[in-house]
Amino acid sequence: MVRNNLWRAARALAAASVLLLSGCVRKGGLVLLDPKGPIAAAELHFTILDVVIMLGIIVPTAILVIWFMWHYRATNRKARYDGRWDHSYGIEVVVWGIPILVVAVLSYFSYKGIFEVDPYNPRILDKPHVTAATARAGAPASRPVDVNVITTDWQWLFVYPKLHIASVDKLVVPVNTPVRFRLTSATVDNAFMIPQLVGQIEIMPGMRTKQALLASHLGTYRGFSAEMSGPGFAWMQFHADVVSAAHFRKWAAMVAKSPDHMTDGAFDAFAQPTFNLHEKSRYFSQVQPGLFRYVIHQVHMGKVFTTPLGAGELMTAHMTRVQ
Amino acid sequence: MLVHLQGPWSPLWGRLSLSEVPYHNMIVVGAFAFAIVLGAAIVGAVTYAGKWGYLWREWLTTVDHKKIGVMYILLGLVMLFRGFVDALMMRTQQMMAAGPHAAGFLGALHGYLPPSHFDQIYSAHGTIMIILAVTPILVGLMNIVVPLQVGARDMAYPYLNAVGLWLTAMAAALVMLSLFLGDFSHAGWVGLAPLTELPYSPNVGVDYWMWAIQISSVGTTLGSINLIATIVKMRAPGMTWGRLPIFTWTSLSTNIIALSSFPVLAVALFLLSFDRYLGTHFFTPGLGGDLMLYTNLFWIWGHPEVYFVVLPAFGIISEIVPTFSEKPLFGYITMVIASMAIAGVSWSVWLHHFFTMGEGPAVSLYFSVATMLVGIPTGVKVFNWAFTMYRARIRYDVPMLWAIGALALLLTGGLTGMMLAIPAINYTVHNSVFVVAHFHNMFLLIAFAAMGGINYWWPKVFGYKLDEKTGRLVFWYWVAGTIVVFVPMYTLGFMGMTRRLDYVAHPSWLPLLQLEEAGIALYCLALYYQLKQIYVSIRDRAANRVGADAWGTSRSLEWMTLSPVPFYNFAVTPVVHARDEWAWRREHGYTNLRPSRYVDIHMPRNTAVPLVIGALSFALGFGLIWRIWWLTALSLVGIVVAMIIRAGDTDTGYVIAAADVERMEKQADLRAQTVPGGRTGQPIRAVP
Repeated sequence: MVRNNLWRAARALAAASVLLLSGCVRKGGLVLLDPKGPIAAAELHFTILDVVIMLGIIVPTAILVIWFMWHYRATNRKARYDGRWDHSYGIEVVVWGIPILVVAVLSYFSYKGIFEVDPYNPRILDKPHVTAATARAGAPASRPVDVNVITTDWQWLFVYPKLHIASVDKLVVPVNTPVRFRLTSATVDNAFMIPQLVGQIEIMPGMRTKQALLASHLGTYRGFSAEMSGPGFAWMQFHADVVSAAHFRKWAAMVAKSPDHMTDGAFDAFAQPTFNLHEKSRYFSQVQPGLFRYVIHQVHMGKVFTTPLGAGELMTAHMTRVQ
Repeated sequence: MLVHLQGPWSPLWGRLSLSEVPYHNMIVVGAFAFAIVLGAAIVGAVTYAGKWGYLWREWLTTVDHKKIGVMYILLGLVMLFRGFVDALMMRTQQMMAAGPHAAGFLGALHGYLPPSHFDQIYSAHGTIMIILAVTPILVGLMNIVVPLQVGARDMAYPYLNAVGLWLTAMAAALVMLSLFLGDFSHAGWVGLAPLTELPYSPNVGVDYWMWAIQISSVGTTLGSINLIATIVKMRAPGMTWGRLPIFTWTSLSTNIIALSSFPVLAVALFLLSFDRYLGTHFFTPGLGGDLMLYTNLFWIWGHPEVYFVVLPAFGIISEIVPTFSEKPLFGYITMVIASMAIAGVSWSVWLHHFFTMGEGPAVSLYFSVATMLVGIPTGVKVFNWAFTMYRARIRYDVPMLWAIGALALLLTGGLTGMMLAIPAINYTVHNSVFVVAHFHNMFLLIAFAAMGGINYWWPKVFGYKLDEKTGRLVFWYWVAGTIVVFVPMYTLGFMGMTRRLDYVAHPSWLPLLQLEEAGIALYCLALYYQLKQIYVSIRDRAANRVGADAWGTSRSLEWMTLSPVPFYNFAVTPVVHARDEWAWRREHGYTNLRPSRYVDIHMPRNTAVPLVIGALSFALGFGLIWRIWWLTALSLVGIVVAMIIRAGDTDTGYVIAAADVERMEKQADLRAQTVPGGRTGQPIRAVP
């Protein structure tokens, strides 16, 4: 208990000092210090732990170096000079011992951390820090929501396979509900990230990666691709809306009424290189079952969505005209 | 053609056409005009001074390790300037393109660079800074210093040394050419697969990147063979492994890394070129290819490459700190063990560059712990430098300032590096500008050490010191620029800013981006004072001449011979008695010794073959990039013929008669008497 309180105090202090430095917690501020879900919170926990341990060794070392530099300056006649001294077993043991000890401690925390945040830990959503967050909110353990994420050049398609709906550049998930992602790309690598909810996972063409998250606070969060994927990469931003269960059902019903359908053929048209300027959302209903597998299969069979020659300039000029 | 090419192709010109010249791009036209004016000025100045013959005899065809080292460093500094201009353009673009209401110029929607141009700039920045700036500067320093430190006349293979230089220089020339003809890669200096594949990079940009790296890495590999052979086989009598100067030790470990890792890069790039030229599917996502194979291969080279550049930097710091502390290095043996340990661990950490690829927790754990193990020998080095300063008499000359600056950067870089090594943290900051700030932190450590090394060994090579006053200004502006650019960058990383953004979606980041731009302005001032330092130093060189021991308290063998070093290095091969031979001789009063008799010296003869091979490699790269097959074939045949001609040349050396050596040494003695410190290098300043 005491340890817990101390930990909270240290964390608050560390967070406060960093916040003071930048003077902002507004949108677009230090989002990594403001987690809105248990997995992101665990990531912050280990960040602070690591920084505190490392500062515990770096600050004394820096003070030592600065003191040596000051005290043993050539102009200081009072400092003792020993022009032959270059070895001491005692000091050698200490200078090897300290780094070994620090690395051992950090390795232990690294081991702890991996199992709390790695989406490839099959029981990630059953870990105590995740279930505790749901329990604290008083929410019953809801059935997980599945989302298939498909990236193209350069848009996000979020498919809700059980609901047969899809949305572009907008992810909507219910609060306090585990969300399981499967991710793939139709073209090149991207990386999926929502800093306040969950860390990064690579999205690769022809392969399926996994991610899992649980959001414990309502709100709209920023998501984006964190891996360079070509000229339209800077525009691969999306909104992640965390909404109540009732609101989520309403939203799903609204999307299900969309006149646009997403079939395999429609996907091939959708996946043509496109700059999605300023995150304009689109919705699709009646998504063809197995779209995710279709995309992976097509990539395996050699399907490419070729970038036109000189794409950057041409596409930017084109999009400007469209606007 | 085995692959589908977008755009025209002809047997005579390949993919080359007039439309590949980006004359409609004002920025490139400006750069072109600058290059033409500068080039014309240099050619004009050389012609006016009538120095073409001198340039050809003394520099272009030389096999002298010191001159080759100087040319390596000059090349590195020129490319450092180019890389810096790239950085300036990127910072300016991000500052101008923040938020949806940011204005657009020169055909860009926001800012002044369209995405394709911006992407080329950051790719060129990374490729240039790592492969064509930092690497040549450090290879140049090793070239100059290692043979002197082991008491050799030259490198083990002087001709190979020159080949390495010209291959690296031609790779740099190819990268520069991409400015004015075609485009450069947009897929980052790492070459993100499958973005580098033909469908997603249809232009010649990736080809420029690929062949430039391929050619320069052949040069680096040859250089590493040469340095290892020199250190192992060319040591003077008495120079046992336990007496080897620490910079030579780090050079040995670093070149072992290079020799074992660069071939992996060559394989990765060859497989990529098969994909792009022959239509194979090694790294494509479909038809059986595996893009993660490329990522793994690249980083199996890429991470050792990081240590390839950091270890010589550690070596430089380990030379500078004892000299200006007037004390031997603390813990020499553990320092050697630490250098070798870093080299050893460097091969087993590559996966930490892509912790987010979706491997299981156990794999992550292994690479996380392996990565953190690097922190142990590195931490030991920091402590050893600190204890070298314990009970010392520290002078803060310019090289020492750079060494201390590097030490400070190592502490902050170590902190952030330990953060990135933990997957739970890495997931939140991978591919963000936090990572960018971290590795710039580490590369600036290397740059600081390299700057220290240049200031430290400059008097050895040229015989006079660099100007102290402007040197300090360079240092402090560089420090200020580093803080003002990279503290905001670390902060932006925690705000979730991804790297490689040509458009910044959040106007709230603007103040920090403006702060970074201000830091770039400070770097510009540092650059100004750097040029001024070199100018002032050359102008006042007569007043700043130094004797053999330029700093008065130097310790290793290179400070025993004259400054500037004669082309034969040592009149007679020195015999080594102690770990810090020069300090040992100073303590025992043996600094005034003269050889009782001189002997003939066998020296390698100058040759133009390396330059020819370099020029043909340039033509080979050019032919491959533009798919001009006749040029490719011709230059390949030319290279082989040049190698055969050289192999048949039995007259590759000449002898300087003992009498000539004696005469030159006597003359140098007379000259040296006019210099403070003189022939023997007595302390320049009175030691209290």
